[in-house]
Amino acid sequence: MNQWWIAVIAIIVAPVIGGLLAGIDRKITARLQGRYGPPIIQPFYDFFKLLGKSRIATSRMQFVWIYGYLVFMITCVVFLVLKLDLLLLIFLLGFAGISFVLGGFSSKSPYSHFGANRELMQILAYEPVLLLMALGVYAQNGSFMISEIVKPGAAPLLPTLWPIFIAVLLVLTIKLRKSPFDLSTSHHGHQELVKGIMTEYSGPYYALITLTEWYEIVLVLGLVALFWANPLWLGIIIALAAFILELLIDNIAARMTVGWMVKFTWAVGLVLCVLNIAYLYLIKGVS
Amino acid sequence: MDLNWMMAVAILLPLVSGILVFIIRQYHIRGLIVIITAIALIINSILLLLHGPDTYTPASHYWGLAITILDYAMLLFYIYAGLSLKNWLVFIFALTQIVPLAYWEFGMGASKALEEIKPAFIFDHLSIVMVLVISIVGSLITIFAIRYMYDHEHHKEIEKSRQSRFLFWLVMFLGAMNGLVMANNLLWLYFFWEVTTLCCFELIAHDLTREAINNGARALWMNSIGGTAMILAMIYLFVKGGGTAEMITLESIIKAGGNQAMLLLPVALMCFTGFIKAAQFPFQTWLLGAMVAPTPVSALLHSSTMVKAGVYLVLRLAPAFAGSYLGIMVAICGAFTFFAASILAIAQTTGKRVLAYSTIANLGLIIACAGINSPLAIAAAILLIIFHAISKCLMFLCAGTIEHLVWSREIEDMEGLAEKFPVTTFITAIGVLSMFLPPFGMLLGKWLALESVFAVPLAAILFVIASFVIASAATMVFWAKWLGRLLQVLPRLGRKFECLSLSYSVPLWLLVVGVFVVGVGVAPVYQKFVSFAVNNVVAATEAFAAGWNIVVPSASAAAGGTGALIGSFPVWPLYIVFGVAIVLPLLFVTVKPGELRPVYMCGEQVGGVDTDEWITTADQKAKLQLGGFYWQDATGEGAVNPWFYTVSIALLVILFAVVLGVILS
Repeated sequence: MNQWWIAVIAIIVAPVIGGLLAGIDRKITARLQGRYGPPIIQPFYDFFKLLGKSRIATSRMQFVWIYGYLVFMITCVVFLVLKLDLLLLIFLLGFAGISFVLGGFSSKSPYSHFGANRELMQILAYEPVLLLMALGVYAQNGSFMISEIVKPGAAPLLPTLWPIFIAVLLVLTIKLRKSPFDLSTSHHGHQELVKGIMTEYSGPYYALITLTEWYEIVLVLGLVALFWANPLWLGIIIALAAFILELLIDNIAARMTVGWMVKFTWAVGLVLCVLNIAYLYLIKGVS
Repeated sequence: MDLNWMMAVAILLPLVSGILVFIIRQYHIRGLIVIITAIALIINSILLLLHGPDTYTPASHYWGLAITILDYAMLLFYIYAGLSLKNWLVFIFALTQIVPLAYWEFGMGASKALEEIKPAFIFDHLSIVMVLVISIVGSLITIFAIRYMYDHEHHKEIEKSRQSRFLFWLVMFLGAMNGLVMANNLLWLYFFWEVTTLCCFELIAHDLTREAINNGARALWMNSIGGTAMILAMIYLFVKGGGTAEMITLESIIKAGGNQAMLLLPVALMCFTGFIKAAQFPFQTWLLGAMVAPTPVSALLHSSTMVKAGVYLVLRLAPAFAGSYLGIMVAICGAFTFFAASILAIAQTTGKRVLAYSTIANLGLIIACAGINSPLAIAAAILLIIFHAISKCLMFLCAGTIEHLVWSREIEDMEGLAEKFPVTTFITAIGVLSMFLPPFGMLLGKWLALESVFAVPLAAILFVIASFVIASAATMVFWAKWLGRLLQVLPRLGRKFECLSLSYSVPLWLLVVGVFVVGVGVAPVYQKFVSFAVNNVVAATEAFAAGWNIVVPSASAAAGGTGALIGSFPVWPLYIVFGVAIVLPLLFVTVKPGELRPVYMCGEQVGGVDTDEWITTADQKAKLQLGGFYWQDATGEGAVNPWFYTVSIALLVILFAVVLGVILS
């Protein structure tokens, strides 16, 4: 199929899946908390309602950066479905994250200022792990291309890269803004009432952030699914299981401090990744 | 044009113009001379590019004599400087240079042979890349300096103008650098090396405050250690070469490759020299101290000259340590500096110190690439040199402009700059983004470097990749943090565009254009230009560019097979994404006055929309104050420097121990 069409379809379908996952998230979380919970498609109702609200602003640049956040996140999803370079995808994800942070910094507001700084610390915590994931994939496949991971007959990554997989699950917690790492902002209002880095956003631009988060859910779960890309349905099941696991962790854990998060992710995540790559190197005798 | 003339323009014209500028003390004529020199250097560097690689030996042997005399004149000046400043380190390390040099040249009778080395200059594609970077980026800085120094002296209310002197050293610096990157004769290389050290000392100490003089002296003695190492390397080569000057050229060292164990020690010594000049840990303090100088100096030292001489030398010597333990150690040392400097940059509260640590980090990355020494890594290193020169020059000129707008270097004083000076902030934002985000060149270089790390053996690789990934993440933090402070504005509209002097704005905008032109055109630039320079260092069979995109083919594909790609970087599609994501919203998103609201302060504001006053305890009014985070307890110099010094010194000891071990075994 034509690459353009794949990209277009992904751009349309990804937020639908992401929105449904967000709905499932709210439902399961509600049940875990003994509530009935909203319908699964509630996030879509919310989204369209937000779009229709009038704009209010605290600065112009906060809007500009949100477009950066959205467009770069979409680019990442396109990179994933077109099976391009994994390492570059992670750098692009970095641009998306930095745009969001700069959006938070763009108004002189104490809450969004704190949230943006915490978001930066989250980037500091997860970025090395994601980069090491790409390097681990290279150590296994000899290529950074996602097409080499998913090509027919390629061996699944999970049996050899399971320590990196565990580290990526840590990243998943941070990326999905789940406890104990929902530091810069959180969902469901179970940690805070003022919404951290998102404090100064409302109406249509808040809707754009929601949309970006849906793309992000699909993207990070897609990265998890790459660990078992042949057959891909197994990978998708693993990714969904990971998603449910994150919801459980979210509801049984409390928010930790920023310093603890960086230390923990580096001490556990980085060490697992490095040991994994060392092991791959030894058994394969690369170089 | 005649080669004689091209060499003369590249090396001697800056000296001549420098002297003219020194004599003529009239602001406009002086500025005109600087601008004409800049244009001549730029045209000349392009002519050199069109001329292609060549060798050159000046016809008259008086040049050799002149260089010898000037060598001793400089070293005697260092001794004088050491004595007059009562700085014993300067004095001692001047002695450690002059005594062995004199003994070698006259006691051992090397001087005659040294003057007759042919060819004295070789410029291959790597040299041409360097000459272009020096001539174009460096020249823009000299233009910027014309007005900057004028404002600088007016602000400090200095009565006796010293601008002439400043421009003399600044312009001459470019000539010395051009000579350095083309020299083949090691003694001449050493001469140009010392001239850059001298210029650096004079420029850092320019303001003649106590701090400036001390920091200049520190730069001098640290680089003198490097000079000493280079002299020892030359003497070793001379003795081992059987008392002939045969091995005292870069060409012969490179040709011998890594085959000769005897070459390992001098190569290690020269790499050590390069490390010091490139401000690698534990020698980073001289470059940090250099920021007391007026900003054009920092821009010059950090982007196109001085520190680039260090990485140039290591890169140049890469064939001589290919496949040896020395190469691995070079990679580890570079990677460690990349890591350490990136971490330290998070804690810096001064804009120029952030820039300094960022430079040190990127130089570490380039040196690590030289140590990895695969075609991909060398390609990354050369591209990083080019992109770093452009982006870092832009950043320093921005820092200088901001300094002259707010009269401070502290990041905290730059809060809300986007409102007061939107044009400067826009250019600064482009500079910051181009340092660490895709699709810009620096990120491309880092991406290539990461894709190449698997060329080193296991023990090194873990260290290198761990350093690389943490440093990459830390880089994102410290740049975003700084840019964030600039953007923090109150809800107000109606900003006015400020008007900058042409001497500021022309170099700034040219560099912005440079970031995008070289960035978008990286693949053609690579194919037509950089790939030859890569081949000067390591035989590369792979083509890392396809059309307008950068690709990394697998080894089998490179050998003519149909193997898959290892990686790909679609350049222009990503620039389109950047345009859609950032540029279009910047142009078209507008906010109407009626849409503005005060920020959320729990409803405790005093007054209207754009107020930053609020009601605090006991119904007192207070001003809203935000401060950046610097995490100095965790990443400040006090917290981590003891560790970083220990590790970096240990790494250097291991480096030399490994080399000596190979030689003795």
